[in-house]
Amino acid sequence: MASRYDRAITVFSPDGHLFQVEYAQEAVKKGSTAVGIRGTDIVVLGVEKKSVAKLQDERTVRKICALDDHVCMAFAGLTADARVVINRARVECQSHKLTVEDPVTVEYITRFIATLKQKYTQSNGRRPFGISALIVGFDDDGIPRLYQTDPSGTYHAWKANAIGRSAKTVREFLEKNYTEDAIANDNEAIKLAIRALLEVVQSGGKNIELAIIRRNQPLKMFSAKEIELQVTEIEKEKEEAEKKKSKKTT
Amino acid sequence: MAATFFGEVVKAPCRAGTEDQEEEEDERRETAEDREVRRQLARKREVRLFRRQTKTSLEVSLLEKYPCSKFIIAIGNNAVAFLSSFVMNSGVWEEVGCAKLWNEWCRTTDTVHLSPTDAFCVFYHLKSNPSVFGSCPRKNMQVTVLTCRHVTDYKTAESTSSLHSPFLKALKTENFKEPPCCSLLEQPNIVHDLPAAVLSYCQVWKIPAILYLCYTDVMKLDLITVGAFKPVLSSRSLKGLVKNIPQSTEILKKLMTTNEIQSNIYT
Repeated sequence: MASRYDRAITVFSPDGHLFQVEYAQEAVKKGSTAVGIRGTDIVVLGVEKKSVAKLQDERTVRKICALDDHVCMAFAGLTADARVVINRARVECQSHKLTVEDPVTVEYITRFIATLKQKYTQSNGRRPFGISALIVGFDDDGIPRLYQTDPSGTYHAWKANAIGRSAKTVREFLEKNYTEDAIANDNEAIKLAIRALLEVVQSGGKNIELAIIRRNQPLKMFSAKEIELQVTEIEKEKEEAEKKKSKKTT
Repeated sequence: MAATFFGEVVKAPCRAGTEDQEEEEDERRETAEDREVRRQLARKREVRLFRRQTKTSLEVSLLEKYPCSKFIIAIGNNAVAFLSSFVMNSGVWEEVGCAKLWNEWCRTTDTVHLSPTDAFCVFYHLKSNPSVFGSCPRKNMQVTVLTCRHVTDYKTAESTSSLHSPFLKALKTENFKEPPCCSLLEQPNIVHDLPAAVLSYCQVWKIPAILYLCYTDVMKLDLITVGAFKPVLSSRSLKGLVKNIPQSTEILKKLMTTNEIQSNIYT
């Protein structure tokens, strides 16, 4: 049945599927993992860095991009589609600031991106964007926000979420470990993001990229050294927890 | 047949089909050229067995030379990576030969100088236990097949969002009496291509055989997909062949980095 209704985006199948949109969601799973966590005073975005070819300039391969001073996003899926969406979002942020004299709220820009994606699921001759995005930031009211969009154009607010390859494994980890204690302070929230990524990242800390936004502060990208420090701390904590467990059992 | 104005009889085209059966047969009969083309294709499609190091062809068929008790075949890059890093790093495996073949679906036109990435199969046998290898259909031989398939091919009544890929499914022949290391493949799923051919052969010749099929959403070489084959290490067919697991993980990581294909389409 799928083969007769999956060629055109504007055609529903008899059982109500839009196959092109579902196939676009498969394209998202081909991108490396990205995780977003909403803490009490911080929002964290962590991504699995793809290994870069020897002659390639690392700076041009970025999964985390700033949309404005107070909003940033991470994506998973088709690189070129992401570039187009990010450019449109950035222009919209500035246009909004100039028109209304207020920076965009995280929800506004998320809705803008989601509407853009939805338009492409209802147009003839176009295909959906093959990306999912995690959009984080602080609004003027000081409340941290995390939103996720997908190729169908839906968006939802989340406390923590993951997209891309092995997103399900990371999400299950987050469901178990996202507690009030885990986000009690900024450092704990950062550690939770790194621990979630280490579940699925194939070569440890050197393939992780991290960005945070604190209230009233601009986006901060972590350097490789800072990430290594966090990873070593996490590994130490793991060892100690295991030692305690073995002591309890003996 | 129709008559024209001048009285001649002309054969009119008939949509009911040609009346003259003999003419049809003539057209269908092969010309010498057709036969020659067919012969050349058959020659190109021959499977050739030879030794890689010496590049000499194996005169004696591998079938007779190496009798065996356990035959393990891995199909696809993830299954091959699993076998190379977990099984073949323990003990010394000697390469006994390899098979090269070509058919019309291959992308190369040169049938003589096939590169290692083209249809290629290498046969190894364990030096310390030479009975572990071979392809002779003997009664006490056991066959294990490992392969991968994309999870979108998996048909199930449950919601696909509840599937935890990668996961392992097994399919065995009637004579395979041991319990498999994972659940059996449910209907209406079917196995395709070479694994299906091997299993059918084993079923016909009453050889105990089991196929471990890993459904994954990453078809290229991936650590997590290869890890999904780990339950197979506890099966009787592979037990005794695997010694050093931490070293295997290291070898696997090295394989991953050397085989990584750079693609910037997906980030």
